[in-house]
Amino acid sequence: MSGNLARNTLGATPESAPRPVFQPLPGIRQQVKISPAEIQLLSKYIHGLTGINIEPSKAYLLETRLGKLLENEKCDSYSAFYHKAKADGSKRLDMQIIDAITTNETLFFRDANPFDLLKFKIIPEIIDKRATAASGSLAMPIRIWSAACSTGQEVFSIAIVLRELLGPSPQHNIQLLGTDISDAAIRQASYGAFNKFEIERGLPRDRLQRYFVASGDNWKIKDEIRSMATFRKINLMESINGLGKFDLIFCRNVAIYFTLEDRVKLFNKIADTLTPDGYLIIGSTESLTGVCPRFIPKRHLKSIFYQLR
Amino acid sequence: MQALKILVVDDDPVTRALLTKRLTKSDYDVDTAETGVVAVEKIGHQFYDVVLTDLMMPGGIDGIGVLEAVKGSHLKTEVILITAHGTISNAIVAMKKGATDYLQKPINFDELIMRLEKIQNWRHLLKNASDLRMAMEITEQTSGETIQNLEMTVADLQARLTAIRDVLERRELAPDERIAMALNG
Ligand SMILES: C[S@@+](CC[C@H](N)C(=O)[O-])C[C@H]1O[C@@H](n2cnc3c(N)ncnc32)[C@H](O)[C@@H]1O
Repeated sequence: MSGNLARNTLGATPESAPRPVFQPLPGIRQQVKISPAEIQLLSKYIHGLTGINIEPSKAYLLETRLGKLLENEKCDSYSAFYHKAKADGSKRLDMQIIDAITTNETLFFRDANPFDLLKFKIIPEIIDKRATAASGSLAMPIRIWSAACSTGQEVFSIAIVLRELLGPSPQHNIQLLGTDISDAAIRQASYGAFNKFEIERGLPRDRLQRYFVASGDNWKIKDEIRSMATFRKINLMESINGLGKFDLIFCRNVAIYFTLEDRVKLFNKIADTLTPDGYLIIGSTESLTGVCPRFIPKRHLKSIFYQLR
Repeated sequence: MQALKILVVDDDPVTRALLTKRLTKSDYDVDTAETGVVAVEKIGHQFYDVVLTDLMMPGGIDGIGVLEAVKGSHLKTEVILITAHGTISNAIVAMKKGATDYLQKPINFDELIMRLEKIQNWRHLLKNASDLRMAMEITEQTSGETIQNLEMTVADLQARLTAIRDVLERRELAPDERIAMALNG
């Protein structure tokens, strides 16, 4: 390749071979460039894997996020990498592509409003409904799902609110499920450890001290909170029928990466997964207008939630 | 960016003086403590970017004690331990408790400066990241409010339009009656 040519001493380069215009800097790896055709190929492949829509103007994301994988796999072009991933029956590379391409940006108590909503309205309402409904419904579990939970901050924020609202041994059976497409994210959520930067974001000191234990430079969520939640890997582009119905769904800041068409499909599936009087919470900058007319937005104090018509 | 504020903790006055001189010369902002006890007190009163502490010190609080005090009060302070030759195992214990780094005696000043520069660069990156996050969070909040208001307004308008359509479709009423009802909402 051009790197090898450049290393030949002057004059040793055969006449026919083109001289590289730039000498690579010693010690600095030459980055493999992605061609327009490869951008299309990989964008399409990633869309198929995750639903994530990479606009041509964001093609640099492919280089910055997949460059390292390319190097690990010793591929000298993006198309070689694509073919290797596609041919890999173990899906090992697909998993790595997913981990690299997803944006796991999240924080504890992100956009505080939904958590107040949970505490002052949703949970009390659900419990009320259970209490006044036919006998036997008290024992029915209250089911909550965080549909793209990333590294777990959203789920543990919900768990902490539940714990503070209902005490250490609630009368109600509560099931809290966190799912995400990224293995790495689910692994961290499951383990429940956060570094000092993650801990600093959104988590007040008193809650940190009450619900986490320090371990080295990290903080680990206490077992009493961790045990309230279950984590699973689930791709929202696939069928979610098997999960059963939920009383409350958090689906925040994931659909923003999808095309309108995929968003329509996703929120229709979510509508099917919600109990008739269930609640849906989406990200604070998201909207369902023109996406899913089955939901109507409702306002309570400063927050918005959605219910089925 | 501002110079790193460093607390040097060592019971040996010569080491303290030497470190102070070298670090001040490299433009760091240096403070000293002659025992672990004094260090813990100082840490309680003010923020240091880096605490550079001897591991073995007399007087009840050693380097590990200083490290624990730092970790208990300031998540953002980095601790570098100075260990006597041949006590690496202690240093490893300290790293597990959250120390950033350790240096062996006799202190190689170039090495120390290099590590501090690394911390400084790291701080700089963190500041950039946190500025970005701050900007993002403000954008998220303000655009969130706008979008949510629009969402409610659109839903409200849609409901009104549906009601108007329903009234206009009431064939049992005379056209101008329907129009009057629709206009009155
Ligand atoms: C920005 S995070 C949002 C985390 C959290 N809900 C919040 O609002 O803070 C987006 C997450 O969506 C996940 N994701 C992307 N595509 C997905 C898909 N097709 N199925 C499930 N999760 C997906 C990513 O792995 C990432 O962790």
